[in-house]
Order: sequence, then structure tokens, then C-alpha cells
Amino acid sequence: MSISYFPNQRADLPLRYESPVEEAISRLSEALATIPTLAHYSPRWLAIQLLEDDDGLAQQVQAAPGGEAVLHVLAEQRDHLRTHYNDAVDITLTDQRYRFVHQITQRVLTRPDAPDATLSDTIDRIVTHKYLGIPIFLALMWIVFKITADVSAPMLDWVDGVISGPLTNWVVALLSVAGLGGTWVESLAVDGVIAGVGGVLVFVPVLLALYFALALLEDSGYMARAAFVMDRLMRALGLHGKSFLPMIVGFGCNVPAIYATRTLESERDRILTGLLVPFMSCSARLPVYILLAAIFFPAYAGVAVFSMYLLGIIVAILLGVVFKHTLFRSKEQMPFILELPPYRLPTLRGIWTQMWERTASFVRKAWTIILATSLVVWLLIALPVGGQGRFADTELDQSAFATVSGVVAPIFAPLGFGSWESSGALVTGFVAKEVVISTMGQIYGLQEAEEAAAPTTFLEDVSGIATSFVSAVGDTLKSIPLIVGINLFEEEEEAEPTALMGAIEAGFEESSGGHGVLAALAFMVFVLLYTPCMVTAAATRQEFGNVWMWVSIIGQFALAWVVALLVFQGGLLLGLG
Amino acid sequence: MLQQVLHEIEQAREPLSLNDLARRLEIDPGTLDGMLTFWVRKGRIVVRDGDESTCTTGSGCGSCASTVGCPFAGKAPRTFMLKGEEPRH
Repeated sequence: MSISYFPNQRADLPLRYESPVEEAISRLSEALATIPTLAHYSPRWLAIQLLEDDDGLAQQVQAAPGGEAVLHVLAEQRDHLRTHYNDAVDITLTDQRYRFVHQITQRVLTRPDAPDATLSDTIDRIVTHKYLGIPIFLALMWIVFKITADVSAPMLDWVDGVISGPLTNWVVALLSVAGLGGTWVESLAVDGVIAGVGGVLVFVPVLLALYFALALLEDSGYMARAAFVMDRLMRALGLHGKSFLPMIVGFGCNVPAIYATRTLESERDRILTGLLVPFMSCSARLPVYILLAAIFFPAYAGVAVFSMYLLGIIVAILLGVVFKHTLFRSKEQMPFILELPPYRLPTLRGIWTQMWERTASFVRKAWTIILATSLVVWLLIALPVGGQGRFADTELDQSAFATVSGVVAPIFAPLGFGSWESSGALVTGFVAKEVVISTMGQIYGLQEAEEAAAPTTFLEDVSGIATSFVSAVGDTLKSIPLIVGINLFEEEEEAEPTALMGAIEAGFEESSGGHGVLAALAFMVFVLLYTPCMVTAAATRQEFGNVWMWVSIIGQFALAWVVALLVFQGGLLLGLG
Repeated sequence: MLQQVLHEIEQAREPLSLNDLARRLEIDPGTLDGMLTFWVRKGRIVVRDGDESTCTTGSGCGSCASTVGCPFAGKAPRTFMLKGEEPRH
């Protein structure tokens, strides 16, 4: 772009409005010129301000001698202009000023036919392309889940080893010193707190990896483009394009995503989007996917996790289309303007802040909601119902938890996971999805408790933690090329499944009649589709009322049941798993 | 020019980026921003800056110590649209 200077055309520069406006300004200026107390104002400037409805100046004119007559002229001229332009006078004047500026810039600026594209423009042309946009979005999400599933795995194993090994041993040793070894207090600490809260904290490296990848996308400015691309797809399906904005928030947590539906103007769109947001896989569901994918799909863990996220988006879109043509029929949506921020190179500090804040919130949740639920689950496991057991010393299948869970277990039998263990985990999972993991850790942890390792000294434990940490860091670095499909690990280095993983696998195999893989897949689908957590339900109630909360809870449960049934029974019919 | 901005938004068949619209009108994106802000002031266009997703339950979701600054809320891009129904507050 170049700028030209036209010294001989300066006379053309003063702003002149269209003749009806100039005529009104002229008549009003003449009237204003008759008032001596307003002589310090330029009559033209004052006339324009009055036409544009400046209340302060209008009051000054009214207070001046002869002001009433001027206001009469003002009212006449405003009416005339309003009728002539069929719009508010201030809009007419502002519009003409913009046009005047535009005319000048058109005359003095020489724009190239094809303006120089900035780097942001060039990238946008590709990532927001009509046909390439969605494949690029999916490819980036795939990389996010490769990072989450593969790169975080060594550190996950390390944290798991520390919590289930040395940390548990130290707690047991300390309680023995205090004379509480073998009592219900030890059971509470080990089987309640460590198995429950510890079982969830194991996934901190996974969440750090997820938040790292998401922060990269957000801070670079890509997420706004993702919303733009998905807007286009959703509008093509008849949905409100802006619905995808809350859905993107839902990948982190469904609760703020429910509140983000306020960005939609129509009540119908808000409710519709509020019903769809829970199908976006929040970070709390990720540990469930990771654990089951590691057990049942070890070679394709990234694919399995990615499929769950993709399935959530597909279910939300399909359900949205159905609702839009049935319950939520509404007029065609108006398009909108989206501000795409320029691309930026993410800063280490910015990424770390996001990773830290989000992971800290996960840890806080572990010490509040998850701890409280783990204690309740432990209490129910410790309470004997029938049999010969005593408090904190009873057979698992004779505990209150097994009895209560057993009541709902038949509902899940056709889905392949009708055992009291998995049913119980799903019931407590209504509190928060991480609790599915903590409950499984508590139940299956007790089942595999007999396989205790040989005792070690404190120094051996510390040394083991340090050496395994160094090894985990090395393995993390080696796992980075896995994102692009390069495997630097030797075949024999493949991690052996832990006793807990073995117990979970056996549980699913047993409940499904030997079709554990299909049952686990159906379980993951069920976790994806049923109510994310009680707080999301509460947020739905607050935003949309009691009726919609129950529609959401019951509808999600029914849909989860049907889709999981299709996965399990359909898989059996096709001879899979 | 102002009317042209409204006209272009009304006639659009799909969401537009601010830069795309500025190019279409042959104006600077900053000028377009000013025009959109004018229409927001006049109540013809609604602007959303994506800050509405802050938790307001008073109890948080169990992840936050307070209701301020939900780490998951994120910052949605600024959007402008023609005013339809009254936005909810």
C-alpha cells in the first residue's frame, strides 16, 4: 500500500454532508447565530452536535434567551432528516462522515490489487480453508492425544510406582510404629485415601501433557480458528455456529462450558447447546480412557482415546441436528463476525501458567470431592452385610458397597459390564468422573492386594524413586518421536501390566463372558455419554431450570445405555472382541 | 459505510472473520472495529467477548477455591452479531 499527497486538492477536503443534512445544519446555524450567549461556539459545530442529540448542549440552548425557538427548529430539522433517511439522525451523520473518510482514503491510498498477505493471513488461508479446515483440526487433535497418551506414559508409570510402592510402604510403616498396623486405620489410609486419591493423582502427568498441548493451541491463536471452522460445519447442519464455542470450553471442563452458553442470544439455542456440551469429553474423563485403553488397547491407546473425543463431537452434532428439527425448531440463524487474533508464538511462561492452574485445580478436586467420595466408598466397602466379616475386615463381595452396587448391576449386564465392581464405579462416577478411577482403584486394589512386593528399606525406596525418575525422564524423551510414528523403544521394553490393571482386565472378562475388550469399549462409551458430574447437573439446573436438568440427566443416561449396548452387542454380532 | 457493514452481515451466508469483512469493504480492520463498536453502542449489534463462562454458582465445581478465574473457562474470541433477542444477563 502506498500513500499519495495531493497538495492542490486541499480545498476538497473539508467535510460536506449530503445536501439535506447541509440544509438542516445551515438552518439550525442561522437560528443559533441569533443567540449571543452561544456566540463562543461555532454555529456549525453546535448545530451538528444538536442534530446528533447532545443532551448537555441542548440544555444550554434551552436555558439561553431565545433557545426555545432554536429547539423548535432543531425538532423540525431532525424530523425532516429522519423521514428523509429513514434512520436516526446521528446514524445518518456518522455514516456520512465514515463515507467521507473512506472517499479520502480511496483517493490518497493506492492499494495493490492483491494486498500483501501477512503470515497470519497465509496460515489462516490454509487452516480455515473450506475443505482443509476440519481435517487439519482433527489432525491437531490427534497430535494432542498422541502427546497425552504416549508422551506422558513413562511419568504416569513413575508416579504410579511411587504411590503404590514406597509411599504406601511408608504410611504402613508409620502406622505400625504408632501401633495401628493391621487396624481399620491402616485400611482407611491405604485402601481409602491412597487407593482412592492416589489412584487419581497418578494421572497428573497425563493431565499436564493434555494441558500443555491445549495451551499450545490456545496461546498460538489456533483455538479461535477451530471455532471458526466448526462454526461453518455446524451451520451447514442447521445448528447455531456459535454453539461450538462453549463446546471447546467443554474439553477442559463441562461446568464453565454450560455457563459459556450465555454467549448465545436465543433461549432455545442456549438450552440446546447446554444439552450437547456434556458430550464433550472433559479432562476428568481422560484418566478413565487412559486406564482402560492401556489395559485393553495397549498398542492403540492414542487411537482409543482420540476416538472417544471424536465420538463425543459426532454424537453432539447428530443429536443437535435431531433436536434442531424437532424440539428446537427456530428461524434461520444470522451470521456473525468473529475476531481472529493474530497468531503468536506461545511463551513458556504462558503455557506453564495454564498447565499449573488447571493441574492445580485437578489436585484440589482430588483432595476435596474425590477424597470425600473415596472415604464414603471405603466405609461402604468396610461395612459387612451378611457373612462372617467384621468392620474393615470383610470379604469384598459381602460388603455394603457390593450389595448396593449389585442392585443396579443388572441394568449394565446387557452392556457387558454388569458386575457390581464396574456398576459401583459408574454410580460413584456421577459425583465426578475421576471417581470412577478412584473407586476402581479401591475395589480392584483390594482384590490384588495379596500380590505384595518384597519389603524394602527406606534408603532403597528413595534410591528407587530417584533412579526410576531418571529412567522415566529418559523414556519421556524417547517417546516424543512416537507422535510421528517413530518408535525408539525396544520391543522387550514394553511395560508389563500392573496387578491393578490385571485385576480390572479379569473383572471385565468375567462380566462379559470373555469379551473384555468389547465390554471395556462399551464402558468407555458409557463414561463418555452419561452425566459428566453432579456439578454439571447443578450448573444445568441453575442455567436452564429443574426440568431441563432432569431431561439432561435421564436423556444422557438413556443415550449412554443404548450406544454402549450397540457397541457391545453389535460387536458380538460382528464377531469382534 | 455504516449501513454497508450491517448489509454485509445480513447478506453473509456463513460466519466472517473481521479481516475478511474489512477486505470485502476495502477498509482497514481497525476502522471496521470502530464501526462495529458504533453499532454496538446503538444497540443494532451485540458483541460477546467470551467472558460469560465464569462460574457463578457460588460454590465452584470443586476444582476452584473461589468462583473467580476458572482456569478452564478460556477466552473465547470476540464475536459481533446482529441483535435478535435480548441477551441474557
